[in-house]
Amino acid sequence: MPVRGAWAAVALIVGWGFIGAGLFAWARRPENSVGALMAATGFAWFVGLISASNVPVLFTVGSLLGSVFFVTAVHMLLAAPHGRGLSRGDRRIVVVGYLVVTVAIVPLFLFLDPAKEQCDNCPENVLLIEHSDAVVGIWGSVINVVGLGLIVAVLLSLIRRWRRATRPERRLYAPTYAAGVALMIALIAQLGLQTAGSEGSALDVVFIISVVPLALVPYLFVASFVRARMFQGGAVGELMARLSEAPRPGGLRDALADALDDPSVELVFWLPERGRFVDGRGHEFELPEGDPTRDVVRVEREGDCVAAIVHDGTLPQTREHVQAVGAAAALALENERLDAELRAKLDELRNSRERMLQIGLQERRRLERDLHDGAQQRLVSMALNIRLARSKLNDDPLAADRLLSSASDELESALEELRELARGIHPAVLSDRGLGTALETLANRAPVPVELGELPGERLPEAVELAAYFVVAEALTNVAKYADASHATVQVARENGRLLVEVADDGIGGADPGRGTGLRGLADRLAVLEGRLEVDSERGRGTTVRARIPCG
Amino acid sequence: MTRTVLIVDDHPSFRASARMLLESEGFEVIGEAEDGRSALIAVRELHPDVVLLDVQLPDIDGMEVAARLSENGSAPAIVLTSSRDLADLGPVRERCHVRGFIPKSELSGAALEALL
Repeated sequence: MPVRGAWAAVALIVGWGFIGAGLFAWARRPENSVGALMAATGFAWFVGLISASNVPVLFTVGSLLGSVFFVTAVHMLLAAPHGRGLSRGDRRIVVVGYLVVTVAIVPLFLFLDPAKEQCDNCPENVLLIEHSDAVVGIWGSVINVVGLGLIVAVLLSLIRRWRRATRPERRLYAPTYAAGVALMIALIAQLGLQTAGSEGSALDVVFIISVVPLALVPYLFVASFVRARMFQGGAVGELMARLSEAPRPGGLRDALADALDDPSVELVFWLPERGRFVDGRGHEFELPEGDPTRDVVRVEREGDCVAAIVHDGTLPQTREHVQAVGAAAALALENERLDAELRAKLDELRNSRERMLQIGLQERRRLERDLHDGAQQRLVSMALNIRLARSKLNDDPLAADRLLSSASDELESALEELRELARGIHPAVLSDRGLGTALETLANRAPVPVELGELPGERLPEAVELAAYFVVAEALTNVAKYADASHATVQVARENGRLLVEVADDGIGGADPGRGTGLRGLADRLAVLEGRLEVDSERGRGTTVRARIPCG
Repeated sequence: MTRTVLIVDDHPSFRASARMLLESEGFEVIGEAEDGRSALIAVRELHPDVVLLDVQLPDIDGMEVAARLSENGSAPAIVLTSSRDLADLGPVRERCHVRGFIPKSELSGAALEALL
């Protein structure tokens, strides 16, 4: 009877421990199924205890469902710590487990008379048809062997997960795992004894021993939760202290990684001007959306997004803790954000300078080729024609005249080509007479009718005028080449210290600024002046090229 | 005996002027080619005495055309021409059967004859 007394105490501790800790965890993290499973294990445990009843129906139901709590406990162990659904293998284990303890066990009860199994005081089994030692022996062994197989599978799954876990994950898994593994080993021992035919109090003792680690699970769970809260509170305090020291490059990230106990933490900063995140070096960063292994917490300061903390999503850091860490570091993050913004600008400037250099080289090559293929060839053939004309002057004056007239045509064409080239290098009318007049001449020369809106009357800095001129020239060239437009409008206006240049057409639209070197080159030219280029070109709605150039 | 000439140049205006000029000075222009590949074919088919060869061609470089023509023992006499300066063109390979260079603007029957 001392065994029975100890048993009653353990039974209550186990049941209420599971229900209490489970409901507590479920209330705090409803999305995590571990809490619900833990509470379910507690309830299933109490269902099993009904078998102590003297009422035959209750006794039968309690005995029949007496093993369900093992499977809910295994389910919980496999779902821990994230409670976000099981892997396919784990799911199979759990499904087979539930089937064994609820369905496969029924036939056993049809042929098992407790009175014939050394349980003289037990009430009647209401499901009993007729006692059969053969069925009970064989079916019982089958169920035990399947159970043993399942337990080995659970052990293997736990071991595999342990080996794959990172160090912080192991620290987290440790208590649950220790309890789980101890439970599994005790269960194997019990099943082994049962299959070997041991009976009576030996089995009871092993059962109670096997339940002890299980009983500890909810308490270990609550303890690790409290420890994490304490650690988190301490971590924020420590972080504040560290942030008050002089920062070193990358120091903030390291401090946050320590505070979150996650070495994989990435810090990215929001650049409102670009509408993008960049990393500490100023390189653009794509937030990992929909990646279950990476979580993102945005940090705001005075209502504006400052940065985002990208952290290991498989760790149990609560969102609130990451937010608390982020809030503690918000000021330091804002400072680093400004640094990152500066680096991003420098980076962009360096890139656009390089592209400008490339464009310069390309333009020189194009110029050489244009000179060689155009004006130079015309002058060569002119020289030949003149020499030929001279030789024919006396014998065949008519032929000589024809040759000279063709030479004169070549000369005209060569001059026109040279003028066009010179304009492409630098439009003289721009430096002589200003942007307004230069744009009028551009509009007059364009093959598509151009309507001129507002134009600046005053002179602007030379670089600004040149950039605006080339925006209009390139845009009008594109209109003529690709837009299939009936007319275009050009407007240039000053607006809040910026020059707004706009060229719109009524053509087919669909222009892609990413493709083609023309618009890209313009964007680079503008970037040097801290200007911006936008292209609106919805298919069928015409194209609008808009440039904003700071002009003091 | 009249010498036969093949003019190789990618600019039609130059080919036309050169043809008139050379024909007026007693050469017989038996063909024109606008790039290196068609020049090689034309030489094989027409067997000209002289090839007036522009150095810069859209496909195969004129120097390379000269080298390939020279691989054949009975190659025609090759005279290079260009609107660029000779000094800008780089060295001419020695094994080429190149007789010399005439700047395009100085081309004449006499200048060509002087190199043959």
